[in-house]
Amino acid sequence: MKTEMPLSKPIRRIIKQTEEMLDTEISLLRQPEADPGGTLVDIYTYEMEKNINVIIFPAQYVGLLKDFIIAKHCTHLLIKGAAHKKGKYLVCSYDEDSVSRGMRQIYIDTLKDEAKKAEKDKLPVNKLIQMLFILYNHFNEDINEIPWNAIVNASVYHRMSKIRKTQLYHIMKESKNDMDEMVEQEKIIPRRYFVLNKAMFYARDMFLAKTLPADELMPVLNIPQMKKFNHLEVKEMLTHRWTHTAWYQSKVFGDTMLEIVDKHLDKVEWNAPPTLDHYYELYRLGVNLTNHLTSYMSMKDWFVWDTPKHLLQAHEMKGVYEKKALKKIFGDLISDSEEGT
Amino acid sequence: MTTKEVVEILKKGRAYAQRTKYKEAMAYYNKALSLDPKYPESWYLRASVLIDTGKPQEALADCERALALNQNYADAWSKKALALFNLERFEDAVLAATRASTLNGNDAMAWYIKGVCLDELGRSDEAQEAYGKSLELEIILDMDAERRKIRKH
Repeated sequence: MKTEMPLSKPIRRIIKQTEEMLDTEISLLRQPEADPGGTLVDIYTYEMEKNINVIIFPAQYVGLLKDFIIAKHCTHLLIKGAAHKKGKYLVCSYDEDSVSRGMRQIYIDTLKDEAKKAEKDKLPVNKLIQMLFILYNHFNEDINEIPWNAIVNASVYHRMSKIRKTQLYHIMKESKNDMDEMVEQEKIIPRRYFVLNKAMFYARDMFLAKTLPADELMPVLNIPQMKKFNHLEVKEMLTHRWTHTAWYQSKVFGDTMLEIVDKHLDKVEWNAPPTLDHYYELYRLGVNLTNHLTSYMSMKDWFVWDTPKHLLQAHEMKGVYEKKALKKIFGDLISDSEEGT
Repeated sequence: MTTKEVVEILKKGRAYAQRTKYKEAMAYYNKALSLDPKYPESWYLRASVLIDTGKPQEALADCERALALNQNYADAWSKKALALFNLERFEDAVLAATRASTLNGNDAMAWYIKGVCLDELGRSDEAQEAYGKSLELEIILDMDAERRKIRKH
């Protein structure tokens, strides 16, 4: 790594360690419009000409926020690299059949929800059709993100005590944004998917709240959106209606998902020597956790484990997959103008 | 050449520097310096590019020129601290960063460099204090950036 940016000692250490362990190079790039969580463009996911991985972060991150983004992405890179070196690095991808299965399930659930709605609240058919793949794709992105986010954050927390306050700020901010996701569409999308989406974030945040000292994170107190989860049982007793809200159901599902996360990650030796074996073990746990979560959400056959290249190609083909799935679901009932997004 | 014209030239140079087009940026800064060598910002901006292109010694010299013209130029002190850090002159970098943060208490970078250098010198407690201040300011900067983004959308 060659950079003129000032970097604190533990960050220089983790960059050096990552480069040496994976026999690769890391380059840092500051960009005004970068994603707040930074971006990792790595050789295990993308076909790169040179053996260089790039960590991109927002221009306003000049100190410890930048350090945290680097630590987070180096840890993720170590997990990906270890998987690549010791076995095979796979991600949750999709193909024509899996898209079809996922979209069909979403369609069935949508119909159930729509049947309960008053006529004036029903979703126009074209919107309903468009929503199927959007939701499917959303869950693909989330399932490729959330389990790893929990693992990476726990690892950074245990290995880098000096940036814990920064990590705390970042997690709170990220969590707030994640909780906002889909809220505007709450009335449109099927309840089941709104609930599962929120439940995944809830489980991740609660796991991190347990991993990071409780007095520091406390998501149900510190994140405005999560206050909805606070003292739900009492509210449940007070009002029967509350038990029918999506937020209550998110907590119920989220608590079960938290148990799943705990089951997989509770026994991890986060402070074990940072070897390739250790990071490969984290990768393995991440895969198992992902499988368990998709199974719990009845999405096991929605996705296929395949190479990152397969996923990139699937993204390129998504328009085609969507059209074919719609044909399978609706047959000749669907006209060309109504086909997908 | 009026200051206004130099400012315009520097603005162009800065636009190139932001896009990491350093060669073009340097050409504008050199032009500004040849027109008015007594304008401290030109030295400061050229120092920034010199640091980004891995020339801390030359950057340090430019910072000194900027500071000779204006001893209270906070950004130039901050840049000097960065140049000294890159030259591994940690004691001197702490002094320059302290001066920068005294002149401009809101300079997150100055506090961060101070923290990093104090850490290098084994002064952990003082480093934590500087890091804490740097984080506080960075969070304010970040929240401002978020607000601007929301307004833009």
